[in-house]
Amino acid sequence: MRKLVIIPAYNEQGGIERTVRDICAQAPDFDYIIINDCSTDDTLFVCRKNGFHVINLPINLGIGGSVQTGYAYAFRNGYDIAVQFDGDGQHNARYLHEMAEKLAEERLDMVIGSRYIKKEGFQSSGIRRVGIRYFTGMIKLVTGKKITDPTSGMRMAGRDVIAMYARNYPKDYPEPESVVAILKAGKKVGEVPVQMNAREEGVSSISPRKSVYYMIKVSLAILIAAVRR
Amino acid sequence: MSLKIQVIVAVVIVLALLWIANMVRKEILDIRFALSWLTVGAVVLVLDLFPGMMDFLVHLLGIELPVNMMFFFGFCFTLFLLFTLTVKVSRQEEHIKRLTQELALLEEEIKIQRKGETVKENDEQ
Repeated sequence: MRKLVIIPAYNEQGGIERTVRDICAQAPDFDYIIINDCSTDDTLFVCRKNGFHVINLPINLGIGGSVQTGYAYAFRNGYDIAVQFDGDGQHNARYLHEMAEKLAEERLDMVIGSRYIKKEGFQSSGIRRVGIRYFTGMIKLVTGKKITDPTSGMRMAGRDVIAMYARNYPKDYPEPESVVAILKAGKKVGEVPVQMNAREEGVSSISPRKSVYYMIKVSLAILIAAVRR
Repeated sequence: MSLKIQVIVAVVIVLALLWIANMVRKEILDIRFALSWLTVGAVVLVLDLFPGMMDFLVHLLGIELPVNMMFFFGFCFTLFLLFTLTVKVSRQEEHIKRLTQELALLEEEIKIQRKGETVKENDEQ
């Protein structure tokens, strides 16, 4: 069983080292690959200095394009499992085993690390939780499945989903839409409760100004993903 | 329409057409992209040289002022062109994304291979 951690990194010079050490310490049976999304800070330098395994994108592709590069890498190198894992210290590697076990035992195609099953750890701000609950409702409406944390960036995929995402993945704010895409394709998705940290480094990609665009774009994208083929 | 305006319009259009044709000749502009512009230039030139056709069309469509017809069709054409360009940009973005990913993945593969080769060389020494 070959397992890969995909770490998308854009300007994560402060957090990337800790993230990789966390994975190596708590999930040593996972390989990892950092996707440096043309960072403007010293992310690449930090990675090279430490001898980290890194793929360097020559053009900034955004989160969707970066994560997809990771899935394409996983697909080509024949990995059985690939898990997305933020490079900014929000995610804890101690959950990776549990996620992999659930994926294998319940024969799922994807396992999402959800903040909202046990409601412990960093819960995001109130207004964002409202937005997340709205997406949960919307996904339930179009697929009939309840995903408590559709915006979670901590997601583990099996072979089928790796192949699907390597081929097709949304460019920005990809999580909710891409979950709908695989649910619609009849893939099985489960969730495990995880605690996340408030980010230690870097800033959220969703500023207040962008949140209106975010809500509209993701809502439309979910609807389109729901009627696609 | 006065003869003066007719001549001015014709001269402007001919100059524009020559300008576009020259860009195609110099391979700055691909002929496929120039085609829609050349076509619209030619249509306007014909309407300018034969005002009778314009009157006929206006009458046929029940539009009161010829200038309104020009605005309407000009607007439609512009919207169409803009939209097709948006589609092209969108497709190109996807292509660029794919190329970028492919390049990054290949670079990584080459690095791994080179590393393997140096390890082998060291073993041989």
